[in-house]
Amino acid sequence: MSVAANRTGRLRRAAAGNLTLALLALLLVGLTLGMGQLEPLFRALFPDLSQPLYSRDSFLNLMLAHIGLVLVSSLISVSVGVAAGLFVTRPAGREFEPMVSSLAAIGQTFPPAAVLAIAVPLAGFGFTPTIIALSLYGLLPVIQNTIAGLGTVPASTREAARGNGMSALQILWRVELPLAMRVIIAGIRVSVIINIGTATIGSTVGAKSLGTPLIAGLVGNNLAYVIQGALLVGLLAIVTDLAFERLERRYSFGG
Amino acid sequence: MIELQGLTKTYAGKRVVDDVSLTLQSGEFGVLIGPSGCGKSTTLKMINRLIPLSEGRILINGDDVTQLPVEQLRRRIGYAIQSTGLFPHWSVARNVATVPQLLKWPKARIDDRVDELMTLFQLDPAEFRDKYPHQLSGGQAQRVGVARALAADPEVLLMDEPFGAVDPLTRETLQAEMRRVHAKTGKTIVFVTHDMDEALALATRIALLNGGRLVQYERPIEMLVDPADDFVREFIGQADLGLKLLSRRFVHQYQRRARLAPETGLERLDEHAWLVDAEGRPSALAGARLDDADAITRVKPEWIATPEMSMKEALSRMVWYRVTALPVVDREGRLIAEVGMPGVMGIEGDGGAIEAAP
Repeated sequence: MSVAANRTGRLRRAAAGNLTLALLALLLVGLTLGMGQLEPLFRALFPDLSQPLYSRDSFLNLMLAHIGLVLVSSLISVSVGVAAGLFVTRPAGREFEPMVSSLAAIGQTFPPAAVLAIAVPLAGFGFTPTIIALSLYGLLPVIQNTIAGLGTVPASTREAARGNGMSALQILWRVELPLAMRVIIAGIRVSVIINIGTATIGSTVGAKSLGTPLIAGLVGNNLAYVIQGALLVGLLAIVTDLAFERLERRYSFGG
Repeated sequence: MIELQGLTKTYAGKRVVDDVSLTLQSGEFGVLIGPSGCGKSTTLKMINRLIPLSEGRILINGDDVTQLPVEQLRRRIGYAIQSTGLFPHWSVARNVATVPQLLKWPKARIDDRVDELMTLFQLDPAEFRDKYPHQLSGGQAQRVGVARALAADPEVLLMDEPFGAVDPLTRETLQAEMRRVHAKTGKTIVFVTHDMDEALALATRIALLNGGRLVQYERPIEMLVDPADDFVREFIGQADLGLKLLSRRFVHQYQRRARLAPETGLERLDEHAWLVDAEGRPSALAGARLDDADAITRVKPEWIATPEMSMKEALSRMVWYRVTALPVVDREGRLIAEVGMPGVMGIEGDGGAIEAAP
C-alpha cells in the first residue's frame, strides 16, 4: 500500500513541479520579449527618471548573449571537470587526485572579478576573459561531484561487473557513469547556476550580457535598469535550476 | 573439471594461500571452508582472476586460466557474491541478461534464457522481469544474482558466501533451491562459506583451509567420521557431530514399511499403526506417542516427512511433536512408508511399503 501511495504522491509532486517550471519559463520568455510593454509601469514607479526603460539594446539580444556566455563556459567547465574527475578515479590517475582537487578549490577561492582583472591584460576585453573566468569558477563543483558520484558506486557492484566479464570501458559506460550521473548532474547544476549569476560581471569588461543594464543602472544611478536586468537573471537562474532538478530525478534508482 | 596445482598467493611476503592443490571433478559441488582469513575467498577469486595468482596453476577443463583473455575467461565462469552485486539501475531481466548481452546473443535467445532462468529460480517472469533490485526481498535478489551467474550457461559457477547476508530461514530455502538447481543443471560449483552446516547441506566435496593451507579435502561424511587432525575436529564441532551426520542422511535411505491400523480394536494394538483417508493420505497415528502409548494422534501437516527430507529434520520433528515415527508421503500426499527411531540410529530401511491391517 505504502509503495503505491508513495508512487502516486511522487507523481503528483512531479506534475506540480512540471507546471511550476512551465509557468516560470513562460514568464521568462514573456518578460524577455515584452519588457517594453511594462514601460508605463516603470514610469509610474520611477517618475524622476527620464529614461525608465533600458533601450540601448533589446532584452532578447542581452538574454541570448547571456545564455551564450553561460553555455560556452559551462561546456568547458563540464568537459574539463568530468574528464579530470574520471582521470583521477582511474587506476592510472589516482595519485593526481589530491592535486586536481586542490587546484579546483583554488580556482574557486579566487573571486571572479579578480580572475577578470588578471585575464583582461592577457586576453583583451569582452567575451574571452569572461569565458576564462566563468569556466575556472564553475570547475570545482563539477570535479568534486564527478569524484563523489563515482565514489558512490558500491565496491560489490564493481566487483560483480568485473566478475561477469565486463571490460574497464564497459564498466565505466554501463555501470559507473549511469550510477554516478545523479551526483554529477547535481554538480553541473551548481556550476551552471553560479555561472548564470556570475556572468553579469562580464559586462564590467565589455562582454554583452544581462549584466549590461545592471552595470549601466548602477553607474548611472538608474534603479529601473538594475531591476530589469536583475529580474531576468534571477528568473533565468530559477528556471534553469528547476529544469536540472527534473533531470537529476531521472537518475535516481531507488536509493 | 577444475584443477588447482600448487596454488599460492603472496601479499607483502606473507603466503595467504600456500601451495593448495586439489581437483574437483565435473558436476561436483565443491565447498571451500575455513575460519576468516584462511584464504578461501582469495582461492576462489584466483580462479576467475579477480585476484592474480603468485605461483602455481589453475586449469579449467584442461585450459590454463592465465592463458585466456581475462574478460573471455570470466564470461565462461558464473560468479555470484554475498551482497548480490546486482546493478541497481537495471531491471531484473537486464541484470540476468548481463553476460549473454556481453556475448552479443540475439535478443530472442536472451529473452528466452531470462524467462527460463527466472522460472528455474521460482520467480514468475511476468511479475519480476521489469522490477528493479531495490524492489526485491533479500532472498529474491540473491536468486536473481545466482540466475545472472548461470545466464550464459557457464562451465563453472563460483559463489562467494552468496547466502551470508540473508536471514537463517531464507538461507535454508536458498540452500534447498541451490541443491535442486545443482542436481538439475549438473554444473561444477565452487562455493565459499564459513558455515559448516551450510557446507554439509550442499557439498559433494569439502576443502577445509587454515592459514592458507589445505587441511583436508574429502567427501562430507568421510570428513565427519574421519577428521584429519584436531583442527578439523574442532572446526566441525564435536558437540553435535551426530546431528551433523544426520543432516547428510536422507529419509529415503531409512524409511521402513508402514503398518495400517485395523478397522476395530485400535486400543489392543501391540505396535503402532497408521490410519489413512480415502485417498491414502495419513490421517492419524495409533500408538507411538511418547507420553501416552495408547493414544490416537491426528497427523499434523507439520510432522509429515518426505523422502528428500534430511534425517536431522525428521528427528527434529519427532522430538518436537513427541512421536517415535513419522509418516513418509509421496508428492500427492499419500502414505508410502514411515521413518522412526531405528532410522535415526542409522539402521538402514527396507525402502518402505504399506502393510495391510492384520
